[in-house]
Amino acid sequence: MRLQLTRSARLLASMFVGVMSALAFEATARAEVVDVDTAHTVYYEAPTRSHMFVYTPGLDLTVKPTSWLGVTAGYSADVVSGASVAVKAGPAYQNTHPGADVITAASVHDFRQVGHGGFSLAHGSTVYTAGYSYGTEHDYRSNAFFVTAKTDALEHNTEFEIGYAKNLDQVCDRTQGPNVTPSRAFALEDSNGCFTNGNPLRSKRDITVDAFQGSWTQAWTPVLVTQLIYGVQIIDGFQSDPYRSVILGEGLKAQEHHPNDRARQSVTLRANYFIRPIRSAIHASVRGYDDTWDIHSITAEAEFETYFGEALRVALRGRFYKQTGALFYSDDYSGGDRPLGPKGQYFTGDRELSPFTSILVGLRANYTFRRKEGNLFWIVESAKAGASADAVQFSYDQFTLGGTEIGDARAFILGLSGGLVF
Amino acid sequence: MFKLLAFLVLGTVMAGCVTVRPEQRSVLADPTMRFEGDELAQGQKKHALDNREGSTGGGGVSGGGCGCN
Repeated sequence: MRLQLTRSARLLASMFVGVMSALAFEATARAEVVDVDTAHTVYYEAPTRSHMFVYTPGLDLTVKPTSWLGVTAGYSADVVSGASVAVKAGPAYQNTHPGADVITAASVHDFRQVGHGGFSLAHGSTVYTAGYSYGTEHDYRSNAFFVTAKTDALEHNTEFEIGYAKNLDQVCDRTQGPNVTPSRAFALEDSNGCFTNGNPLRSKRDITVDAFQGSWTQAWTPVLVTQLIYGVQIIDGFQSDPYRSVILGEGLKAQEHHPNDRARQSVTLRANYFIRPIRSAIHASVRGYDDTWDIHSITAEAEFETYFGEALRVALRGRFYKQTGALFYSDDYSGGDRPLGPKGQYFTGDRELSPFTSILVGLRANYTFRRKEGNLFWIVESAKAGASADAVQFSYDQFTLGGTEIGDARAFILGLSGGLVF
Repeated sequence: MFKLLAFLVLGTVMAGCVTVRPEQRSVLADPTMRFEGDELAQGQKKHALDNREGSTGGGGVSGGGCGCN
């Protein structure tokens, strides 16, 4: 990829690097905190007719030059390679065309990059944070702004936080002909020509997201702390996968068509409990979710984390997730009766909108090194490293590929992380 | 909604009765008791799972990018 920076962009970049360097130098000189974190995650799955490999690197830098100011900057990416289902059909259509292979897969290669920056201001026991991130993919652009305010009360035993975020995103789509109805729309073939000026075969579709969140964290005893989170999201715009088609009936294949509006809300309750005699902690959380597409889900997580010595922590975790399908979800939009024909206003080939259950088991280890006196290599106050491995098994209740159930629906997530505090 | 509000009011009143003194807070400051933990690594794992499920949201307000492959 080649980046072409304008003169003003180069100037801004130089100023940003200069400010960050000055802040870092200032912080080091005053023995304040500079925190550098990196994490790398690999995701792999290979269910029936598809496979996906995603490598996600990330780097965050936080500088606190004074007690009341913090500045953050970071970069993350997704390097995506695999094959996904491009045309989805149901069992009724497959039964009437037993010799045809109606399910097709297409190779996927994408490179998502996100840069973000922000700052926080502390005033008394209240901290205000604001930030911005810009994300780019071959077929997607994202601009996101967020603000939060956090304060504590009751001798620091109670903490409240509220936040708001706004996304102004755009997704690339195939230019459809005039007066084309959704059941006649063609899917995007590839990302060639996306976000280039004057390409008549490509168009941009808007997505806006407004997100609100409030949380209440409470220390109940010296070994028990809980957190209650409530979040709302309102999404408006193009929410289909532009590449995916659904077979709707005899000779009728169309780009999947989702509603433009979606509102979702969730409530999460988390608790951490420390068991002093064995120097271990239990983490538990329950999350309930529903939205206007009629998806309801419940997530339950539990983790047992224990110390081995002073620096090494090892955690064993499990997660259960169950969701219902979207109101308009069907495994077969051709209706099942002759003559086959479309049913419903909306149609999708997305297995994530079908009812399913998943179970995750995983292991995590973290090591923190800190000298009792003095610094490491004169300037490093502490260093940390982490590794994790998770396996997820998905069980789809209704989703099939032309009547063939999804086999080998399991994913593996491996992670490595590290950090230095100066 | 009424039940949620009642729960919040009752919880806040109960929270006012709780006192964990500063000298008792050492365990609460332990890394194992922090909800945010290793934010970058946890965020990446959450991002991977969110893209395979139909019910994202409610875990934070920052955003950026789709990453929906």
